Amino acid sequence: MIIQLTDINKTYPGAVPLHVLKDINLGIEKGELCSIMGASGSGKSTLLNILGILDTYDTGEYVLDGTLIRNLSENRAAELRNRLIGFVFQSFNLIGYKNALENVALPLFYRGIGRRRRNAMAMEQLERMGLADRAHHLPGELSGGQKQRVAIARALITRPSIILADEPTGALDSHTSREVMRVFRDLNAEGMTIVIVTHDPKVGEQTNRVIRISDGRIEPVEQDA
Amino acid sequence: MTLAIFDLDNWREIGATLARNKTRTFLTAFGIFWGTAMLAMLHGGATGLAGTMSRNFEGFATNLAAIVPGETSMAYKGFNKGMSWSLTVDDIDRVCRLTDKIDLASPLISRYGNMAFGTKTTTGRIGGVAPDFWRIQEVTLHAGRTLNDGDERHNSKVTLLGKNLSDELFGPDPQQAIGKYVSINGLYYKCVGVASQKGEGSIMGRVDDSAYLPLNPMRVAYNMGNKVDIFVFTARDGCTPKEILPVIKRVVSAAHPIHPDDEKALWMVDISEMFEMVGNIFTGIDLLALFVGAGTLMAGVIGVGNIMWIIVRERTREIGIRRAIGAKPRDIIVQILSESSALTVVAGTAGISFACMVLYLAEAMTAVPGHAPAGFQLTFSAALWILAVFLLLGTAAGLIPALKAMKIKPVEAMKDK
Repeated sequence: MIIQLTDINKTYPGAVPLHVLKDINLGIEKGELCSIMGASGSGKSTLLNILGILDTYDTGEYVLDGTLIRNLSENRAAELRNRLIGFVFQSFNLIGYKNALENVALPLFYRGIGRRRRNAMAMEQLERMGLADRAHHLPGELSGGQKQRVAIARALITRPSIILADEPTGALDSHTSREVMRVFRDLNAEGMTIVIVTHDPKVGEQTNRVIRISDGRIEPVEQDA
Repeated sequence: MTLAIFDLDNWREIGATLARNKTRTFLTAFGIFWGTAMLAMLHGGATGLAGTMSRNFEGFATNLAAIVPGETSMAYKGFNKGMSWSLTVDDIDRVCRLTDKIDLASPLISRYGNMAFGTKTTTGRIGGVAPDFWRIQEVTLHAGRTLNDGDERHNSKVTLLGKNLSDELFGPDPQQAIGKYVSINGLYYKCVGVASQKGEGSIMGRVDDSAYLPLNPMRVAYNMGNKVDIFVFTARDGCTPKEILPVIKRVVSAAHPIHPDDEKALWMVDISEMFEMVGNIFTGIDLLALFVGAGTLMAGVIGVGNIMWIIVRERTREIGIRRAIGAKPRDIIVQILSESSALTVVAGTAGISFACMVLYLAEAMTAVPGHAPAGFQLTFSAALWILAVFLLLGTAAGLIPALKAMKIKPVEAMKDK
């Protein structure tokens, strides 16, 4: 198990406390390509944030690649994010004034890797995504599909344990969506663990396992081929 | 992770973010630039102003005073008020005999006249002075000597020419004048020296435009009796001219029909008081420079803080992304603070360089040949101080925005899609 969630509960405090995750139990094996599906407000984004160590949970236990994720300092959380997780976002979240190569290399900057090596590694990832000729373009000069592939390259560069994708095709047309999903499937074929949060059934269909979440609970498991 | 300051990558990162919004960077930089430039210019300007003002007093003894006769303001011994009177050589002798607080003393008489040598003629002031005069006002001697006791005692017909007069009569080489006989108002005097004044100030006309004669020969030659125009003296060490004034008043009112209580019959120009006044003015200028400087400094610093605040707000999302992909809170703080301090150093250095150029121009414009430079300058240590203060405050100004940036949670920052 690369991801093991045990009895996770999360409540957002407020005038009316919002119990968004209720006793979540979930295990994800290494090398899985799975999707978390659910209506908006079902708690899937909160789940993804907890998986990505971007948010904390109240009770339960979350073990990521053998590390218990609980009561971490900001520094430790940042370090684990950098080492274990690659993020892919719906709105790409590339830094607009940095070219594709610099964007891809940025996580390595925070790991203290020298510029020359960083850029060589970033170039490698861009080549893998078929974007070598776009390396020195700014995000604004790239198409949606290209931007998302740059974001995937950035997620991959630290050789993370898992890739967390939040609606990765949400801002793309159906053709580029298929293209991006193919990239994910190819990566999965190479052994990468990938978790995709989506509300798009077509995306869910292309994963090996769909985890449905509604009203803060995981629905009974349904195993696809 | 290594220290951020020595990491070239960090500087590339900072350069990239600052270059991103050129207008904003420029405007902030200009604020700092102007702040440092103003501070540096005020500082150097105050020094220079002090220098130009003290040039006026160069060459003068600091405890110098001059007695100038005026008009009586009280009727006395049958004389109406409003009567004018003159100091005499005898008055001065009596004063010097009555008090031991006078160090150097010289009467001064002054007339205008024509000077001629060969075919060349010119006009200028003729000054009669005692030998002490040359110790009261030090002059720059270009050739020969000043007038001395021997000249006075022997009623020698000698003259010390001002540099300008010597130039007109003998050409630029002052040595040419020495030993020549110059006609002054029709009588011939042997030129024994050529001099010019050291400072900007002078007593009864510029030295450069005057021909000085020993006092007695001048009085005799031009039929002046024993009247003198001014009495200049210096107080002995440990005394001030003010202490001597009552003695002078007593002597004068005994010898002339001047009421003992008449305050306006004579007046005393006390250089020591002027020195003090000028000293106060300098302190005032310094305080003003400090005050205005502190103001511009604060404005500049607040500008930096303000712009860093905007930068942080504008880049909330970017900071969120950076945090998500592994930037630690410290990385973000270091980044924001480095940006503000890099901006401060570059703009501050530019400001100081600019101020140095302005001060150089001021120095060049106030330069007077033969005088020491006014000192429109910034010492290296003062420049470093200004820069250090700006760097410290500039970094401090970036601190609040940086702390705010540090608290940005990646999730919240990226939420606004």
